[in-house]
Amino acid sequence: MGILSYLQSSILSKIVMAVTGAMLVGYIVIHTAGNLLIYSGQDAINSYSQFLHSLGPVLWIARIVLLLALILHIWTSIVLKVSSNEAKPEKYAVKNYFKAKLTSRTMLWTGVAVFLFVVYHVSHLTLHITNPEHVVNQMYLPHGLHLSSAASALSYERTDVYRMVILGFQNPLISLVYMIAVTIVGFHLNHAVQSMFQTLGLNHPKYFPTIQKSSVALSFIIIFCLISIPISVLLKLIGGNL
Amino acid sequence: MKLKLHVWRQKYGKSKGYFEQHDVDYVSEDMSFLEMLDVLNEKLLKSAKEPIAFDHDCREGICGCCSLTINGNPHGPEKATTTCQLHMRKFKDGETVYIEPFRAKAFPVIKDLVVDRTSLDTIIQSGGFISVNTNQPQDANALPVDKKQADLAMDAASCIGCGACVASCPNSAAMLFVSAKVSHMGLLPQGQPERKKRVLAMVNTMDAEGFGTCRNFYECEAACPKEISVRFIARMNRDFLKASLSKED
Repeated sequence: MGILSYLQSSILSKIVMAVTGAMLVGYIVIHTAGNLLIYSGQDAINSYSQFLHSLGPVLWIARIVLLLALILHIWTSIVLKVSSNEAKPEKYAVKNYFKAKLTSRTMLWTGVAVFLFVVYHVSHLTLHITNPEHVVNQMYLPHGLHLSSAASALSYERTDVYRMVILGFQNPLISLVYMIAVTIVGFHLNHAVQSMFQTLGLNHPKYFPTIQKSSVALSFIIIFCLISIPISVLLKLIGGNL
Repeated sequence: MKLKLHVWRQKYGKSKGYFEQHDVDYVSEDMSFLEMLDVLNEKLLKSAKEPIAFDHDCREGICGCCSLTINGNPHGPEKATTTCQLHMRKFKDGETVYIEPFRAKAFPVIKDLVVDRTSLDTIIQSGGFISVNTNQPQDANALPVDKKQADLAMDAASCIGCGACVASCPNSAAMLFVSAKVSHMGLLPQGQPERKKRVLAMVNTMDAEGFGTCRNFYECEAACPKEISVRFIARMNRDFLKASLSKED
């Protein structure tokens, strides 16, 4: 079995879920912060995107690590779900929960929904498979430089992320799907973040209540920040000129 | 008081179970839940019917023998109370009450509401002990124990091993039980020599016995008649990780 033998241990599997989950949460936080640059205008977000692409191998390492974390997270959750179903072959006729919340009981389903959304999201904005017409380049000029020839103009082109996002969200259907999806991401994080600390053994009366509150707060902040972008686009608060 | 009871009947382990309805009208508020079933069984016996099989022993809330999942909650709706200590005044007149056995693959039904909880004993056998040399006992005060640690160990040791944590868990995980047993020894000086071996052995046995995985629902903590905290699960995870990374063999 080698490296996958951790799956035979319930606690090791949980720790893998927590660690890979932590990496994905870290990514979502950075991604959300980056997305908010759209409020600083076209140049701000396009420069940020250009900066990320200029990282070259570092960007690819980050992508590969995140992809591996995602695959491990999903694969482990499937194995755990199967073994948990086996552990309770006969369900109760009457169910009554004291502490299990809707968010904790639906982790698998919100996880599936988030995964489907990520596949679509990446196809749209990274791989440019769906709606390739949203992808155009932006001409930019570093300070102090003047455009002299057509040849040098080409070297000052970059992907116009700003336009891609605005054009995408001007489609109400894409906006709606996005808003539903990020709400589900928030739902998933609502339980996930505090659960991660508990699994890693970081539960102490001194700080765990704060962790639990922060987990809920973080999920709402993420939902609020991400949802605000399509709403601003639909209300023409940003990108009204496109 | 009148109650509409739906009681799980199952002739033996492999047979198909079903709910049997009993409309009872004799219930007094002062009866315990088990006494209410005792009276029903007497009536069943008088009419030459098979009485309902259920587990019980001390009826003082300390032996961990009584079980029953009442309206979806192991040991019923009352917090920090075993079924034997649950009074009928906690129910409303005319209420419908579903009585099911503790459900888990690791707890196979023996008959009606009686389940086999041997797998909890198997976990204890794998590591729930300390090794002490037989001889003159040493002076008790020679072994300093921090008061807070002792209190925490006592909290863990209050587990009566009833299995309500497993029964309440949607995944039938035994994490609360195992963590209480691992912690009450791991917190005291006498438990230190076997600390790593203990947590690894007990967790591995738990996995082998067919219990599910913890998903941090915290239903176990709510169902536990002794109010054992899920913090012991975090403590066990910590111990398990440390032991996995630093075991000597």
